Amino acid sequence: MLEVKNLSKTFNSPGGNVTALKDVNISIKTGEFASIIGNSGSGKSTLLSMLGALDTPTSGTIMVDDKDISKLSSKKQTVYRAKKIGFVFQQYNLIPNLSALENVMLALEFGGVSARKRKGKAEQLLNEVGIKPDEMLRKPYKLSGGQQQRVSIARALANHPSIILADEPTGNLDSETGKKIFDLLHSLSRSENTTILAVTHDMDIAGKTDRTFKLKDGKIIT
Amino acid sequence: MNVVSRGVKNAFRSPMRSGAIILMLAISIGLILSMLVARSSVNTKIDQVKSAAGTNITISPAGVFGFDGGGNNLTSTQVTQISKTAHIATTSATLSDQMAATDTNLTPSLTLGNFGARQARLDNSSSNSSGSTSTSSSSSANSEFASRPVPTPHTTVTGTTNPNSISTNGGSLSITSGKTIDGNSNSYVALVGKDLATKNNLVVGKTFTAYGGTVTVSGIYTTGNTFQDSGIIMPLATIQTLSGQSGEVSSVIATVDSSDNVNATVTSLKSTLGSKADIVSQTQQATDSVSSLQSISGLALTSVIGAAIAGSVIILLAMIMIVRERRREIGVIKAIGGTNKKVMAQFVAEALTITVVGSIVGLTLGILVSGPMTSSLVSNSQNSSSTQSSTRAAAGPGGALFRGGINRIGSNITQVTSSVTPGVFASAVAITLLIAIIGSAIPAWFIARISPAEVLRAE
Repeated sequence: MLEVKNLSKTFNSPGGNVTALKDVNISIKTGEFASIIGNSGSGKSTLLSMLGALDTPTSGTIMVDDKDISKLSSKKQTVYRAKKIGFVFQQYNLIPNLSALENVMLALEFGGVSARKRKGKAEQLLNEVGIKPDEMLRKPYKLSGGQQQRVSIARALANHPSIILADEPTGNLDSETGKKIFDLLHSLSRSENTTILAVTHDMDIAGKTDRTFKLKDGKIIT
Repeated sequence: MNVVSRGVKNAFRSPMRSGAIILMLAISIGLILSMLVARSSVNTKIDQVKSAAGTNITISPAGVFGFDGGGNNLTSTQVTQISKTAHIATTSATLSDQMAATDTNLTPSLTLGNFGARQARLDNSSSNSSGSTSTSSSSSANSEFASRPVPTPHTTVTGTTNPNSISTNGGSLSITSGKTIDGNSNSYVALVGKDLATKNNLVVGKTFTAYGGTVTVSGIYTTGNTFQDSGIIMPLATIQTLSGQSGEVSSVIATVDSSDNVNATVTSLKSTLGSKADIVSQTQQATDSVSSLQSISGLALTSVIGAAIAGSVIILLAMIMIVRERRREIGVIKAIGGTNKKVMAQFVAEALTITVVGSIVGLTLGILVSGPMTSSLVSNSQNSSSTQSSTRAAAGPGGALFRGGINRIGSNITQVTSSVTPGVFASAVAITLLIAIIGSAIPAWFIARISPAEVLRAE
């Protein structure tokens, strides 16, 4: 269960205060696949960074499994990110000099999985997202965009997070690959019972999710 | 795959760049080591020279240098004062004189040459105006009105309480035949220089005349110095009596009981003898002669500091560059749950890897170049200083008394042997570690400031 109440975020800038989010209220059930759509500058990324504990809100609460994460210390934020959150980025953001397998193992390391179990678990996760054994040992630049995004989904799933936050997960992919990635996320939300919140431009994709929130000028309008 | 192995792996992520950084670092570390080696070798040499310099103090009459200059010899009262000064263990006194043809039946073995003729020219003109009975004036008096004076060489005679003090190598006088003489006696015996003995067919037991007295040859000595080997050594009292300079000495060498007391003794001698005597200690001369080494030592230390700063700056800038370049990657690691500590540890491991590889190359380089570098540093600076001192080293017997010893030190100074001692090596390694710490501390601070929200920002 993800419950956002009266969430606001104001940035101090040289030209005065800029309000990025204003009284945002969202409620998503566990295992639901939700999407947020909105123009650039509408506050999508800011909302995502609040939910992912990358930043702290100016006011309001974010309850994840009945725990307020909006007022965590930066140390506890890190722990929360490691164990409760999985990120999927538009740019994939895999570590360039680590193999696909090592990238997933890195997330397992941060999640506190013992060194002996990491490799087997990472192989299992990559297998689940459809990465073949010989591809697991490749560096990201030797994988296609779709494969890289699969690896990053495996990385996001590594520690059985409560929420997967996806920032334009199909934004850099052709429509066919994008659809496959979307289907993968969709099936995972079902099989793993993981809440998925995806930010997207793609109305096709948004239309297929369980719920869609529309963000405009920092406010939810639907 | 843990933090450390990721850091090590990252160090070689861009082989060309890492290679360039390692090379620059290696050069500065090599410089640090070779300069530390140069410094420690030179310092060892300075200590050696200073400790070998001994505790002798030379007291000579003011204004006298060899047979040049003017002034009055030291009197017996002054000699007594010197020997009674605190901390002075032993003294040896010397009176040098020159015998002209009228004073002795010996033929001088030295030819005047250009140098001698020039000195004698001055003697002649001065004797004419002052009318003194200088030893050389009578022989040249006949030719006074000729177009050019025809000077004759003199035979140098040295009266000393310690014949070994004539030795040019600082050790015992080398006697080739016969036996040495007792410097404290007043008998008419002499040690004759090899060249003079050959010229006059003198052997042990034969006699010659000096200042009207008959002197028996006790032994033949050689020093390897042509000037000294053309002279005669007699007991001090004998010369004082024969030459009519009762109680007078032209030089005193006093040995101080401990090297710590040398400077204090020089000060107290200066106050008792005042302006009548020039006082020089061996320690002081040794200090003067190693001054160029001391400047090398200072230069080497400056280089060590400079190279250490350069090394730190190289690794610091490289790490700052790497951290800035990987901002996004650092953000990703933090976003997926990597703690600040882990990211920092990874970068410190990377900096350490570069530094370790750089220091292995650099220390090897340092060991290879430290020998040639030390000798080139020493010989370059020593060349300029030795030309200055060599003109003075040719002075007469008064100056030569222990100048021989100092010359030996002078030639030794250029023979500084460089060796990489464990201590020097350890300090080079310590400096290198310091470089790595400085090089990664500031980038670590940058890392801590990178926000994980960075990853959501569009490129």
